[in-house]
Amino acid sequence: MSEIIIEGRCWVLVDKDGFLIEDIDTDQIYHNAYLHLTDRKLMGQYALGNLEGWQDFAQKARPGDIVVAGRNFGAGSSRQQAVDCFLALGIAAIVAPSFGAIYFRNAVNSALPVIRWAQVDEWIRGNNLKSSDRLQLKLATGQGRNVNRNLDFCFTPFSGVQLAIIQAGGLFNYAHQLER
Amino acid sequence: MGQTFSEKLLGSKAGQKVKAGDIVIVSPDRILSHDNTAAIIKSFRELGLKHLPHPERLVVILDHVVPASSEKYALNHKIIREFVKEQRINNFFDVNYGICHQVLTEQGLAAPGKLIIGADSHTTTYGALGALAVGVGRSEVASVWATGEIWLRVPETIQIQLEGSLPPGVAAKDIILSLIGEHGADKANYQAVEFAGEGATCLSIASRMVLCNMAAEMGAKNGYFLPDQQTLDYLHQRGVEDYEVINSDPDADYRERIILHLEQLEPQVACPHSVDNVRPVSEVEGIKIHQALIGTCTNGRVEDLEIAARILKGRQVHPEVRVLVIPASHQELIKALKKDLIDIFVEAGCLVLNPGCGPCLGAHQGVLAPGEVALSTANRNFRGRMGSRDSFIYLASPATVAASALEGKITDPRKYWS
Repeated sequence: MSEIIIEGRCWVLVDKDGFLIEDIDTDQIYHNAYLHLTDRKLMGQYALGNLEGWQDFAQKARPGDIVVAGRNFGAGSSRQQAVDCFLALGIAAIVAPSFGAIYFRNAVNSALPVIRWAQVDEWIRGNNLKSSDRLQLKLATGQGRNVNRNLDFCFTPFSGVQLAIIQAGGLFNYAHQLER
Repeated sequence: MGQTFSEKLLGSKAGQKVKAGDIVIVSPDRILSHDNTAAIIKSFRELGLKHLPHPERLVVILDHVVPASSEKYALNHKIIREFVKEQRINNFFDVNYGICHQVLTEQGLAAPGKLIIGADSHTTTYGALGALAVGVGRSEVASVWATGEIWLRVPETIQIQLEGSLPPGVAAKDIILSLIGEHGADKANYQAVEFAGEGATCLSIASRMVLCNMAAEMGAKNGYFLPDQQTLDYLHQRGVEDYEVINSDPDADYRERIILHLEQLEPQVACPHSVDNVRPVSEVEGIKIHQALIGTCTNGRVEDLEIAARILKGRQVHPEVRVLVIPASHQELIKALKKDLIDIFVEAGCLVLNPGCGPCLGAHQGVLAPGEVALSTANRNFRGRMGSRDSFIYLASPATVAASALEGKITDPRKYWS
């Protein structure tokens, strides 16, 4: 399995006191008022639109950016729009200590790398990571680096099948590959 | 070292011995979807297949917005009905049946040893009958429709021992709210939760469904009860014979064991805006409410309606509270009618609505305005879930909601428990 390396500028989702926001649920990521949309391209504008302090995220984010959040990101509903809205914006990865279980699956299946990094909170508190720093992530080995500060860390690497799905560009492409 | 329920069941499906943490490729026995079937059909068509290889595995139940509240939903329902006919899907339940998790269960489609996946986060409910039931996203369901297979990570297991029995006026909902409040909304992320102990044995199937339903709110991949005589009786009544009872080994490797003593439990309330923001009712009594909801896949069964009716009988709900009663299914509604519960609700001034999800997910039938407060028997109180982002949702048991509906403010139901 070849390595997948992602590098991008990060947005650290902190509250007004500078703490990493935990338990960001699927309603905060993507409000139910827009659940009827089926065209992914239209979903980006609503990403984090219901998260206090981050309602303007969609305007600020650029393709290739990385989102960093607190534990249990994506808790709650199985709504896939909560993953699709980030893909629509071209977000390259989401980093958090843990994810809602269904959210994690949805993301892997849509080839959005969801990075489980247990110590991210300590890094934010210790001032070793802040918004606009560039992160480099190696998905197969679980090696990460804050490029701006030359600091390395380890995260939970993806398993074989998860990596294969991400590499294929999502579950559907992966299924097509298997058929060949 | 022995194996847990989840290790055994997934190992048997995968045809190999597995342990927690392994990734397996397995074929689910049942694949549930609801109104989101329309979107799944779209994805399925994109995959280029004309016919479902296994239409008998599908269960399609319309419940989220029933009957359709707008042209958009009506069109989705129409697309689903046409697809169901074209693909010869027998297990299709139209808008008149009720909430998917109740309907699938009462139709005998959930049974011990079955692997069930569903495009709904509360698919965990079927663990109440000893199935391994997991919620997934809708693309995943489209993929399983097409390939018949899914990858799953074998979960570690947290065992929750329920000791003793519940005091009067305290119910299954209070057990699970207390656990979520104590241990947090991500306590069981990616993991299985096994409800065990004498307190678990004493719970009815309906109560077990409450706990498994809300295991999802602890982050659990699946929650379950090991089948016992009560489970087998429930299946027997529905003519279900095709099942395999799977138990955890006595020396199974649990990640953690938690003990909860039921005698000491008091009614619990989850406060805005997260399910783990739980307080005993005594700490939130007096908060004014505008709407009360008794129903949903969590607490819309006849057991719940009986408790609510017992409190509402011969009384009038508070004039400033809209009280919605929504039986979980057509079958539960009939049972409630035969027990004269519906008369009690109507005479008390409640609005009795047709079986379905109702306003739980904010789509119709009683959405909230800015500043309004709802007290609901549902499973989720995320900001904006029932309508306005500036509304407030509290969650509690049917008893607490019924008592509060009378007083117009959050109320300890035990004072009505004579």
